[in-house]
This record gives sequence, C-alpha cells and structure tokens, in this order.
Amino acid sequence: MADEEVDELRARLERYVGEPMGPPAVAPDPVNVPMIRHWVDALDDRNPVYLDEEFAATTRFGGIVAPPAMLQAWTMPRPRIEGIAERGGAPDEIEFDNPIPVLDEAGYVGTLATNSELEFVRYLRPGDHLHLTIELESISSRKTTSLGKGYFLTWVTTYMTGDDEVVGRQMFRVFKFDPSTIGATS
Amino acid sequence: MTTGRTRSLRGSEVAVGDELPAFELPVTSTVIVAGAIASRDFMPAHHDAEFARGQGAPDMFMNILTTNGYVARFITDWAGPEAMIRKIAIRLGAPAVPGQPLRFTGQVTRADEEGDERVIEVAVRAANDLGDHATGTVVVSLPRG
Repeated sequence: MADEEVDELRARLERYVGEPMGPPAVAPDPVNVPMIRHWVDALDDRNPVYLDEEFAATTRFGGIVAPPAMLQAWTMPRPRIEGIAERGGAPDEIEFDNPIPVLDEAGYVGTLATNSELEFVRYLRPGDHLHLTIELESISSRKTTSLGKGYFLTWVTTYMTGDDEVVGRQMFRVFKFDPSTIGATS
Repeated sequence: MTTGRTRSLRGSEVAVGDELPAFELPVTSTVIVAGAIASRDFMPAHHDAEFARGQGAPDMFMNILTTNGYVARFITDWAGPEAMIRKIAIRLGAPAVPGQPLRFTGQVTRADEEGDERVIEVAVRAANDLGDHATGTVVVSLPRG
C-alpha cells in the first residue's frame, strides 16, 4: 500500500476524532444485588461490602456497593445470541457511523486491545441507573509494530447516573492493524 | 463459601515499597466463562475455544472486564473492605488462557495524605508463562488511621 493512500485513509478518519463512537446507551437494568452476587461468585471476590448489608452499613460506604470493576458490565448491550459469531462477537448489528468499519474495509481488520484505564468517581449503589456517552479521543498516525501496520484508536466512555452525575470513566485503546503487513519494516 | 476479611488496613500501616501478598489464580475455561458471563460479555472468544483459535488466539481467553475484576480483588483482598479503588490503569499483553495460572504481584509506589484519606498507588502485574498479561497501576484510598 502506497504511503499516499495511507495518508488519505488517515485524513478520512480525521472527521471521527472528538465525535461519539456510538450512540448514547442506557443500562438495561439499574445496579442490583442479583447481578452483584453473580459477579462475586464468578470471581470469588468475598469483599463483604458487596453483599453483606449489615457489615457494609458499618463501613464508609454506608451500605452495599457494587464491585467497582463491574462499571462496564452494567451498560453492556443486551446481546442477540443468534449470529453473534458471524458478527465477530458484536452483540448486535452496529449501524452507527464510526471509524472501525472504515478501517476494516481498508484491510485493517485486526484488533488488539492495548490499554484500559478505569476511573471510579464513586462506588455504585443498588438503584443507580447508568447511562453513558463514548467519545473518540484520538487516532494515531500509521504505526508499524510487530503485528503489522495500523492505527491506535483511543476512546473515552463517561458513565453517568440518571441525574447526569458522572460516576466513572474509562479510557480504552485498541490497535487496528492489517495482518497482511506483518513483518513490514516501515 | 469463604467470607471475606472484615478488617481493613489503616492508611498509616502502608508504606512505599510494601509488597502485596502474591496471588495465583488457576485459570480454567470455567474461570474465563464465569467472568465473561457475569460481566455480560458474550463475545465468542471468551467462551468458544474453536472460535478463538480461528481468530489466531491459542485458546479462549479472559475478557478485559474480568481481568480488571481480578486486579480489583487482588487489591482489596490486601487492603480490606474500607479500601476504595479510584483507578485501574493497565496495559494489556499476553492472553489469559486455560491451563496458564495468572500470578498477581504488586508493590506500593506512592502513599500520599489527602484530607482524612491516604491515597496509595500500587504497581501491579499479572503474568503467566506467555508473559505479562496486565501491567499497570491501581490507585486506592484508605481511611488515614
């Protein structure tokens, strides 16, 4: 692929920077004890502030709180299981205009998650009903790595409660690469 | 079912250089699938080994939400239930796959007074025989004590 074409691709991607990566999303359910219990058992995390109401009331949290790392779990979209493998794991068809399909079409079909930064402003309590916005923060210039050539995309998800109180954020970075360029030197 | 610890570290008990008790997680298919479904992540790579291999992975692999969950657990198993995690920043590396135990290690790199709290930064690493699965920092606050 000539450099001129690659620059053209990066230029085409520029319009997505600073824009939403997807539509605002609302958690299907408020923070709730059954889902906390499911998580606590799955990860065998016995921190008593997650399920022991009596104990949690004695702590600075004043009652049960959700495990902080569940932040993303509350807003995960409801999946349509049929055809999920054929969609590459996407929970449902994505119709939102975003740079991923543009990169896929240009041959940058590989995806590697490289960084995650979760920030917790406060712990969530049962009843908190989250919604989120996702903004594409940056797209790098074309980079050459051991996986081949590609672009680093960074987006930031802001998690809010019903009254728009920001309770957490996540920065997420992925490398979208062209697997056929593995071993390329520049 | 075990009950978690109810005693918490006081901020004054933590010093820069302290090592966290190491934790080894025996990663199995069940561990990976349980975490994926509890986090409502239905990506086939986190429960379907054949699908994962078709994508070039050695086996089904742990999703990032579960990794973050175990990092958080590693911290609060050490610090106790009064600990409030403020930040988990990790760089992602080798996949966590069945049959490859993940070894969690950590060391306190900062401990600052902030109001009636002590804000502690821990350098964490979760590694298996394939390499570093996750490395980074966790910021956690404790009552100053």
